[in-house]
Amino acid sequence: MTGTLATTLAPEIGLFVLAVVVLLIGVIQRGDQKRVVGWITGIGLLGVLGSTLRLVEGGSVGDGMFVNDGLAIFAKQLLLGAGVISILGSLTLGHASFSRRSAEYHFALLASLLGMMALVSARDLLLFFVAFELMSIPLYVLTGFLKRDEATSEAALKFFLVGTVSAAFIVYGISFIYGVTGSTAIDTIPRALAEGQPLTWLGMGLMLVGLAFKIAAFPFHMWVPDVYEAATTPFVAWLAVAPKAAGFVAIIRLYVAGSSASDTWLPVIVALAGVTTVAGNLMAIPQRNIKRLLAYSGVAHIGYMLIGLAALSDSGVAMVLFYLVAYLFGNMGAFMVVEAVARSERSEGIDAYAGLAQRSPLLALAMLIFLLSLGGIPFVAGFWAKLYLFLAAAEKGLYGLVFLGAVLTVVALYYYLLVARRMYIDAPVCSDRVRVPGLLGAAIATCAAGVVGIGVYPAPWVDLVKRVASALF
Amino acid sequence: MSGLPFLSIITWAPFVSAVVIMFCARHRPLLVRWTATIGTGISLLASLWVYWAYDRVSAGFQFQETFALVPSLGISYFLALDGMSALMVLLTSIIIFAGVFASWTVKQRSQEFYALLLILVTGVYGVFVSLDLFVLFLFYEIAVLPMYLLIGIWGSSGEVRPQGIFGRAMGWTGVGTKEYAAMKLTLYLLFGSAFILVGILALFVAAGSRTFSFLELQSIRFDPSLQSWVFLAFYVGFGILAAIWPLHTWSPDGHASAPTAVSMLHAGVLMKLGAYGVVRVGMGLLPEATVQWAWLVGLIGCINIVYGALSAMAQTDLKYVIAYSSVSHMGVVMLGAATLTEHGLNGSVFQMFAHGIMTGLFFALVGLVYEKAHSRAILKMGGFGTMMPGIATAFTIGGLSSLGLPATAGFVAEFLTFLGAWSSAHPWWLFPGVFGAFITSLYVLRVTRYIFWGPKSDDPHFAHLPDAQGTEWAALGILVFVLVLFGVAPGLAIGPIDTATVPLLERLAPLMSAARTR
Repeated sequence: MTGTLATTLAPEIGLFVLAVVVLLIGVIQRGDQKRVVGWITGIGLLGVLGSTLRLVEGGSVGDGMFVNDGLAIFAKQLLLGAGVISILGSLTLGHASFSRRSAEYHFALLASLLGMMALVSARDLLLFFVAFELMSIPLYVLTGFLKRDEATSEAALKFFLVGTVSAAFIVYGISFIYGVTGSTAIDTIPRALAEGQPLTWLGMGLMLVGLAFKIAAFPFHMWVPDVYEAATTPFVAWLAVAPKAAGFVAIIRLYVAGSSASDTWLPVIVALAGVTTVAGNLMAIPQRNIKRLLAYSGVAHIGYMLIGLAALSDSGVAMVLFYLVAYLFGNMGAFMVVEAVARSERSEGIDAYAGLAQRSPLLALAMLIFLLSLGGIPFVAGFWAKLYLFLAAAEKGLYGLVFLGAVLTVVALYYYLLVARRMYIDAPVCSDRVRVPGLLGAAIATCAAGVVGIGVYPAPWVDLVKRVASALF
Repeated sequence: MSGLPFLSIITWAPFVSAVVIMFCARHRPLLVRWTATIGTGISLLASLWVYWAYDRVSAGFQFQETFALVPSLGISYFLALDGMSALMVLLTSIIIFAGVFASWTVKQRSQEFYALLLILVTGVYGVFVSLDLFVLFLFYEIAVLPMYLLIGIWGSSGEVRPQGIFGRAMGWTGVGTKEYAAMKLTLYLLFGSAFILVGILALFVAAGSRTFSFLELQSIRFDPSLQSWVFLAFYVGFGILAAIWPLHTWSPDGHASAPTAVSMLHAGVLMKLGAYGVVRVGMGLLPEATVQWAWLVGLIGCINIVYGALSAMAQTDLKYVIAYSSVSHMGVVMLGAATLTEHGLNGSVFQMFAHGIMTGLFFALVGLVYEKAHSRAILKMGGFGTMMPGIATAFTIGGLSSLGLPATAGFVAEFLTFLGAWSSAHPWWLFPGVFGAFITSLYVLRVTRYIFWGPKSDDPHFAHLPDAQGTEWAALGILVFVLVLFGVAPGLAIGPIDTATVPLLERLAPLMSAARTR
């Protein structure tokens, strides 16, 4: 079934219009643009999110180049939802340059979002690459947004260089695949793999390296901590989730879903999952900056999701998607709390959390919930996410990986508990409350509701991801 | 049986009172304590009723409650209990009820203290009454996590020396010793729960990914090689909580740093959770592996008994003595279970109960002594018997039970265990067991003599010490009474225990005779 151009591309068109409007406002309005642009972006994103609800599954454009299957629609909703939460957090950002150049910030964010939306729908390598670049380039700009800050510029440059190299890997890989198949359609790859052309394998391998940079799997993660530390926190919250979600969808499309030769990728993904989980968790232990800690723990979470992918089954894919949802709420929530504390304490060190429970009990409770969710403790979303992942991997017989993951959960809980200890056990340095702006509070509350809601009643989400994933196999 | 969901009431009454405490009793310390008393009192009454009403003739799992939670995965809220779990529930109720009184004097952030304590005990009840492995695991996690905050916030620092890799990590992060003990305990137990989770998932997948129900899994014969490693996973996972050697080191540090009620609950009940898990889940679901690995469980049990007793003898900190004696006594529990005989298993479960009460009593007493004398150094104290006769008497009774004097619960437990060991496939287990009991009598009598009955200390700090007062008597009275009651009338417990151990052994019997002929 093929919908008309307008109905299939409605969210993308909406996003594009929104981006142009934001850019125009930026040209027209002088002075403090922050409020107007932020609100327009936020409300616009909600509208686009609403329009995805009306998307018809299976709609396609351009001879199957761009397809809205269940996976694409699910991913788009995830990306947009994360965008809304991030905007909610950034509305009250205090930097002077942020107020002055707010339109730039929001335009770049929307452009990157547009790239991701195209990426998750792409069924053609050319569109895939264009979308990948559209997603990536604004991210470099956003990372270096506070351009007067030296660390920010350094991080942005690092991110840019690494990102460009990864893009080069991808385009190099695509060239091999095109050389073998004579087509840029993704659907032709499984057949080429089955024929055993070594150049196809080379091409796919190169693309996997490029994508591994994007999802920040070990050893392609080194840009992550610097970027997270230097960039504005609400943006980082989104950066930690959205590009990775898009990257995972791309990996699922290229390496896992429906391709007959997919079992051959098993050792690669298993190895990647193993080292990423181990490395991420171990490197997070000595961190004393909360954003760096969350960065490394984010790497570890990527490892966990790769464990799910390693199952190479519909339940594995489903559980990766479920994990992404849990990770979205838990991770974004944690970053929003970081933003709130950093704004009042002017510090992103773990020490800034000393005695938070006695100063702002609700904020501390929210942080505790997010950390426990990331750690995988019952009654919050992260627990089910890890459990289902392990279950999917266990069904495949990957007990070694399950065991490794389960043991490393304990390591992860160690460094999460270190933060909890600061908040709950240590005495506060001063006794005044941490002031949380209303909108930031709303973002935190949304994430907390998501984490607890899914934790208490995961069934509808599980059904949703299972339905999405089973359509791929 | 009446229609009330007794098990849910027992399990959730403390939780409800925790919620009430958090929200309704802000800054009213007395109300906090009474809410806790009422919550745990309800649980105690209900568990007494359940224990009394449990039908010993028809046996099996009674008071069943089921409610499907996640049907697609076969997870259901399935509660039921047999004689063994009924006894454990009763133990938990007694200890927590006494523990509420024992922590009456907690001053700092008492509201949060009671709330966490009650949430913790909900987890403990849940593990004992769940027959759905998944829900059991959830409750297990609830029972483990609050411990971190309870020890970290209300624990006592300065008497634990960090050692090994944990010591280095802690020195590096620059934290106090109670934080060290809290983190060590939590990580050890979570490490164990990782093993348990893997084991549960393996059984779930092997059973066709449709049920976590204990009863349904029990009816499946798993492949022996699968059983073999899953049993080890359960043994290590639950065993860490039961302080099996060499994974016991969290226990002395944790118990010595924890506040009184938490030590009572942890040593009295949570360690039993581990032993219960090994017997119920490990032995109950994996009969072939049980027969295969009984030698290992028994051997490590023997090591625990002797090693724990020797370590206890070397301590100069009173709380460490008690903590190491727990390690030793848990060895008796594991040894009894490993004998795979009726006497041995009964002794094992009886020891869980007896040791729970006894060690709860000990930690309550140590807490009282510390509160009055502000010291736990055995060698400094002396002659307290004349100043605090009540505490001294209770301590002596506990000590006599610990070394297994007839007419105390400890005697029945050790006697049955040793009887079982002698008639088991490895009769030599008897010797380390008896040797351990001998050393126990040495250190218990030594400690008792030094502190209470020996010559008076010259230290002026110890010149005027009050005896137990007011609510403190409640904790001591309850525990001493139970200790003697079950020593004089062991039939009170043996009957219900039999309903659980006999079916377990019936399942094992053909396998054991097959192993013997082979």
